[in-house]
Amino acid sequence: MRSRSKHVKLAEGLARQEQIAPAVEACYQALRVGEIDPLVYCLLAELMLSGDFYDEAIFAASRAIELDSGCSPAYLALGLAYDRRGGMWDQSILVWHELAEVAPELVTAHVQLGEAFAATAFEEEAIASWRRALELDPKEARAMYDLAIAALKREGMATALPGFRKAGELDPSQDALFFTLAGASGDGQPTPVLSEVAPERGSRLEAAYVLAHEEDLFSAAELVRLILDEDPDDAETLGLASYLYLKQEAVDEAMACALRALTLSTRTPTAVYCLGAAFAKRPGLSYHAARVFDALAKLVPSKPMPYVLLAESLLGLQRYRSAGESYRAAVNLDPACVRARFGLAAVLHTEGRHSEAEWEISRAAYHDTRRQKLFWVLYDDYAEGRA
Amino acid sequence: MGDDSAARLYQAFVSQDPAAAIAVIEGVRDSSSDKAKLFDSLFAPAMAMLGGAWAAGVIDEDTFTQASVVAEQVNSFVTPPATAHDTGITVLVGSMHRDVHSIDKNVIAAALREAGHRVIDLGVDVRPVDFFERAEETGARMVIVSAQMISTARAVSRIREVFEAQGRDDVIMLVSGGPFAADEGLARDVGANGVVRGAESALRLVERVARERFAGSER
Repeated sequence: MRSRSKHVKLAEGLARQEQIAPAVEACYQALRVGEIDPLVYCLLAELMLSGDFYDEAIFAASRAIELDSGCSPAYLALGLAYDRRGGMWDQSILVWHELAEVAPELVTAHVQLGEAFAATAFEEEAIASWRRALELDPKEARAMYDLAIAALKREGMATALPGFRKAGELDPSQDALFFTLAGASGDGQPTPVLSEVAPERGSRLEAAYVLAHEEDLFSAAELVRLILDEDPDDAETLGLASYLYLKQEAVDEAMACALRALTLSTRTPTAVYCLGAAFAKRPGLSYHAARVFDALAKLVPSKPMPYVLLAESLLGLQRYRSAGESYRAAVNLDPACVRARFGLAAVLHTEGRHSEAEWEISRAAYHDTRRQKLFWVLYDDYAEGRA
Repeated sequence: MGDDSAARLYQAFVSQDPAAAIAVIEGVRDSSSDKAKLFDSLFAPAMAMLGGAWAAGVIDEDTFTQASVVAEQVNSFVTPPATAHDTGITVLVGSMHRDVHSIDKNVIAAALREAGHRVIDLGVDVRPVDFFERAEETGARMVIVSAQMISTARAVSRIREVFEAQGRDDVIMLVSGGPFAADEGLARDVGANGVVRGAESALRLVERVARERFAGSER
């Protein structure tokens, strides 16, 4: 067992700050002074991967595994490098199998294994892997997206679309859109105590957003009620009320509040979003949902999620090409938007462009693991475990 | 539509009276049968009134919930159907003999079915004679053949030969798959009438063929 040398720590620090070139140089410096350490190689693999140097990433990760077959971050980097390089699915399956062995509770390993199986047309094995991932974490959105794609391949879009929407609800980015539209991030703010919230509209609304963000829906609803008792024509508060009902699956109540809010002010983005989300839950209202999300996309053109929601409504209308354009707009705004990548993959499948679809899924996988900072989670666990 | 119909629908919701709600909708439907328009002009304003009444405290939370249940019960009267009406067009879909690729075929078949066409999915590895026999059984005059390999794509000509040998020149044969997408000349060579490039393309082509070739005749 060994601790990290100063050379490794320097490379690691730079890599964490995404100073790619200096971090790579620091890794090579560590190797030059004889630090033949799996940590250096897996850092190098991660850095090469972020620069799209797949062969170099594969070499470095393989070297780390040669030095220590229990080096879990190296398996992650190696698997992602194989997937993104393409044409190496057999090796990919083996790597994700290994990672699932080394870290059996790691949900992503099962999701990735499923994606590698799917790419090699082992559909049954793929589905079993994604189901295993969902057993470990029922909120694993990517496994749900993958299952929706599998349903698309077998039974078409009508079966797949509810899966996409369900996955979308697990995906935190949709709720994040609501809070962004409200101008209330909710992150890092202390949980309000109802009795201590100042009895005026601004404080109540702010506290209600924080509570809603923390999914304390009933406390948030109490504050909403207090605001509406003083001003029932408060469109923004009605938008929040609509969101709270949506979160409780009360679609009609949500629709009623959103429609009322928009009667009062058509430019209430939170109400526009909630109305679209309520319409999207009714299969016959895809056209209405598309119209609303199109308006939302125009209202906030810099946000990717309205384009994703618009695209999903267009899928419901069988307007696959337009849906693809909308997904592409979302990906252009945020290349890390996993939901847009999977949606785009679905559209590409409907066009028979299966290899491009697989590429989009592998991009989604890469961004999803980065979003979770999975490499660093595994890296820290591994480094700590051997210290 | 009378100006007060949305208010009457709202009142039916609040009174928790689905029959009255349906009566309001049916009364308006006489003059406007388009459900999407009915939703916009009647249901949505009534729902906005409901939201307003709840916000103003005119109705309490329980009444709001019960009224929403009534709205849920009647929304099929104002919501366009999720699946399209039967177009009466029968389409045979299958993958060519010795070709077991199914994804394109499945996606296309599902899209056509969703659009209201009568789709008969013959599966994968379908012999040319099976395409003919099923067309005879079902009266289908349109066939979509999927082939993903050069060898199976070339062999699609055998399907056209079988149809011609049996005097069924009227059958429209569309083809899909990588080899045809890459080389439209190949599609012509095998006797296809068109190349399907995915689900949306299938929808457009089938509708165009139905409009131009089958108009006014048995489909």
